[in-house]
Amino acid sequence: MSVSLRVYVARRLLLLIPTLMGMTLLVFAITQFFDPVERASLYITDSRQARFAQEIIEKYGLDKPFYIQYFNWLMQVLSGNLGWSQSLHMRVLDAIITRFPATAELVIYSAPLIILTGIYLGKISAVKRNTVIDHASRVMAIIGWSLPSFWLGIMLLAIFYGGLSIFPPGRLSVWAENLVRSGEFETYTGLYTIDAIINLNWPVFLDAVYHLVLPVITLTTINVALIMRVMRSSMLEQLGKMYVTAAKARGLDSKTVIDKHATRNALTPVVTLSGLLTAGMLSGAVITETVFEFKGIGYFAAHAAVQLDIPAVLGFALFAGILFIIANLIVDILYAYIDPRIRLR
Amino acid sequence: MNSDVLEVDEQLKVDNLTVRFYTYEGIVKAVEKASLHLRKGETLGVVGETGSGKSVTALTILALTPPPGKVEKGRILFRRNEDTVINILNLNELQLLRIRGREISMIFQEPNAALNPVFRVGDQISEAILSHRKEEIISRAIRIIKKEIEGEHASLCSKLQLWAYNKILENEKKLILRIIQSIPILKGCIRKKLDQVLREEIIRLLKLMGIPDPERIFNAYPHELSGGMQQRIVIAIALACSPTILIADEPTTNLDVTVQAQILDLINRLKEKFGTSVIYITHDMGVIAEITQRVAVMYAGSIVEVAPVKEIFKQPLHPYTKALLESIPRPGSPLKSIPGSVPNLINPPTGCRFHPRCPYVIDKCRSVIPELIQVSRDHYVACFLYGDGENG
Amino acid sequence: MKMRIELKENPRVKEFKFILKRIRDNSLSIAGLVLVILFGIIALMAPILAPPIEGRDPYIIPRSGYYPEPQPPSPEHLFGTTQGQYDLYYGVIWGTRAAYRIGVLVVGVSVIIGILVGSLAGYYKGVVDEILMRLTDIILAFPGLILAMALVVAFGPGLDSITLALILVGWPSYARLVRGEFLRISAEDFVEAAKAIGCSDLRIIMRHILPNAIFPLLVYASLDIGSIILVAAALSFLGLGPPEGYADWGQLISLSRNWITGTANNPFAYWHVYTIPGIFLFLFVMGWNLLGDAFRDVLDPMLRRR
Repeated sequence: MSVSLRVYVARRLLLLIPTLMGMTLLVFAITQFFDPVERASLYITDSRQARFAQEIIEKYGLDKPFYIQYFNWLMQVLSGNLGWSQSLHMRVLDAIITRFPATAELVIYSAPLIILTGIYLGKISAVKRNTVIDHASRVMAIIGWSLPSFWLGIMLLAIFYGGLSIFPPGRLSVWAENLVRSGEFETYTGLYTIDAIINLNWPVFLDAVYHLVLPVITLTTINVALIMRVMRSSMLEQLGKMYVTAAKARGLDSKTVIDKHATRNALTPVVTLSGLLTAGMLSGAVITETVFEFKGIGYFAAHAAVQLDIPAVLGFALFAGILFIIANLIVDILYAYIDPRIRLR
Repeated sequence: MNSDVLEVDEQLKVDNLTVRFYTYEGIVKAVEKASLHLRKGETLGVVGETGSGKSVTALTILALTPPPGKVEKGRILFRRNEDTVINILNLNELQLLRIRGREISMIFQEPNAALNPVFRVGDQISEAILSHRKEEIISRAIRIIKKEIEGEHASLCSKLQLWAYNKILENEKKLILRIIQSIPILKGCIRKKLDQVLREEIIRLLKLMGIPDPERIFNAYPHELSGGMQQRIVIAIALACSPTILIADEPTTNLDVTVQAQILDLINRLKEKFGTSVIYITHDMGVIAEITQRVAVMYAGSIVEVAPVKEIFKQPLHPYTKALLESIPRPGSPLKSIPGSVPNLINPPTGCRFHPRCPYVIDKCRSVIPELIQVSRDHYVACFLYGDGENG
Repeated sequence: MKMRIELKENPRVKEFKFILKRIRDNSLSIAGLVLVILFGIIALMAPILAPPIEGRDPYIIPRSGYYPEPQPPSPEHLFGTTQGQYDLYYGVIWGTRAAYRIGVLVVGVSVIIGILVGSLAGYYKGVVDEILMRLTDIILAFPGLILAMALVVAFGPGLDSITLALILVGWPSYARLVRGEFLRISAEDFVEAAKAIGCSDLRIIMRHILPNAIFPLLVYASLDIGSIILVAAALSFLGLGPPEGYADWGQLISLSRNWITGTANNPFAYWHVYTIPGIFLFLFVMGWNLLGDAFRDVLDPMLRRR
């Protein structure tokens, strides 16, 4: 890693702190909408403590000025205490940790599909501008972008599950679920497909994949348009630039000029967007998970929200925020790696 | 000036070129029946204001007319060697690839816009050299490897390299070659010797350009270098294959005057060394005076006058040329500009496009377009003030 | 002394005509325009197309009974009924109006706040800019849906909460846009000139910079309406929106979830329950997206002249 890159990374890491603080401030500000008794649930670690609301209010100064509360709350958060979730009957932190692998599994398969398909479609759209291929992909992309994800999910379920009895909702069939819970199956990551491979258990692997098909298709259809659109306009912009003409004037063939030169430059905004998109999905593809009863953090966030389970919802929000900020950071560094000019800024 | 074939000493001829741009606002008649010719070993200057069509003409010579432009009419005749003359506009994509960057090179106004910002300079030069001098580079690499094997210096990769290079020389597209090249470690292995040869060659080239510290430059990114340095690199790439013709589209306009002088000097030296013929496009009469032997004056899409440089300055014939020379600021005398403004090329003036601004305009000028006629041994002009009844 | 410079054609009019032409040329944008207008008519004519019951909030869907199983389309119920015997036709018609209401409200208010914040930040720069930008950064540091969810939980479920939450989540994007435009335009010479003449700040902002900055804003606003409605419907779908029986597309779709497997004989027996509200939502959003896409294509100067 060259010096300029190292300096850039250091600068960005430093900027991380105020950003994180700001984000936690916002989450905390939201808590202020609730009265002290309700807020007390943010600090307890099991349901029995809920009875001691008054003591909790005193202990954490919930009737004291803003900054004192914020400080107390922040300390709790940093020590891992995100409160107790009424709707899930567990500590919020535990809820997040145990549910996250499911979302991760969904995203691991969807994100590459979305990004690669989007880049490919965007590239051909730009290169074969205004031809049938261009128009067709753009229409498909717009349709995908306009589809309500929950409706698409429901329609797919109605057709395949309702109509053809294949691709049921959920992560695993009942038999597989039981197998995984039993002692015979070692859980390493919480991602069923990966764990199944490690366990050399093909039936479970296939079952997990079977259940992933529709959710992944749903997520992909909705999000491809975004990547495609950005890639297309980015490519078009690059193709109009002087260095492309100069490269052609040097006698480089179109394939090299497009694939090597233009694409490389065109990818930079796409990289940013892809990173943010993946982070967005990781912080809970709430709708898709809900429709398919795919029990990841999105599913439980929705569940908690309807039950007005404040600690859980805020816990998820905090988690999402942190994920997003880290994703931004990674993306910025990646950007600087790809485009050396950025490092100077 | 409509000969079917090139004269013996002519390297390139643009013959009655017409290029139009189809835009929303209308059809821009950017180049209208422009003709000029380039002689072997000379530097031809092309002068004109912005919007006169110089750049479009230059790009069209390489069949790179920018969209939405279209070549409506005309030919670009290029003398490839003693007995071959071809019309560039008739070539297909594959044939054009052999000409661009190899037989005819072009350098542009903005040096850093011509270089790809995300690749190192060395890589970009390598790319250009490899695409045109592949056999030479590979053969050289093969020779070196063979020597190394004999001299017991062979590295791990040598066998693979030897095999790969020979295969490439026979036929690039072999599938198995492509498969092997897609595996990163093997690809690196194969490239190693090539990169070494290329690096040597490039450093040699850079030294030739008078570029100091070539090793550092090789590894640098374009934005890390000064404008003058970037332009030198661009010239290096352009001349890497000893092209027959170099087209320079205002290469020094964006550079400091001192750097400009260095670049001009460099171009001249290389021209002597490689025997390249140069078309130098500019709007700066000072540069014209310095390095060109003949000058073509372009106005609103057509060539209005062509003459040896001394005659252009001493005896400008076309009213536009005269006005252009008069408008060069001189200490002591008041600033003179050409009255009127550059014509709208969507609705250009009828007849001679200069007539609305011409102090010598006559009725004929408004309706008939003058053609380039020869008024003396090497001097041509497109104006009804000259000629004897043939045109008028 | 007032100087008037006569131009052959007002450049803004020319821009507008250009846009119309581009839209006309592109059949996709025409489709978008048609859809948007169609839905607009439906929204306007809701009281006529689906007459509400006297004395009741027109957005509450009339129900004929409490039987859970949805009934297929019939002469009394053009689109059939959904779970709980709510009339689907009434629901989607008034749902159109609800959609427009939320869309216009959210985008309208977000844009106004965005313009206020963005112009202050972009014009005065310095500390003001820093503070305001940190604020937008913080809000933008969250994925929109999650933040909106948290806000709705905080405010208490309901349509108003959703509207408010979406406004709070939406204005930063506009603010950034306006700020960017302001920064760009402030650097232009004519602004310097106006300052030199002694124009007051407000005048410069209102008369010189804003009209030029507005354009990209309109593009994003039109693109956004589609997304806003999608998010609002999603929140309703999750149960954070209006109570059951309200004319809201998201609501109606969530009511359809139990019926996707159909009956033993016919898996698609209840197709109307999930298909119809979804199609309305989908076409509405697509119409706006097509239109917004056309605007954006037009705005992009590089793509323009070809």
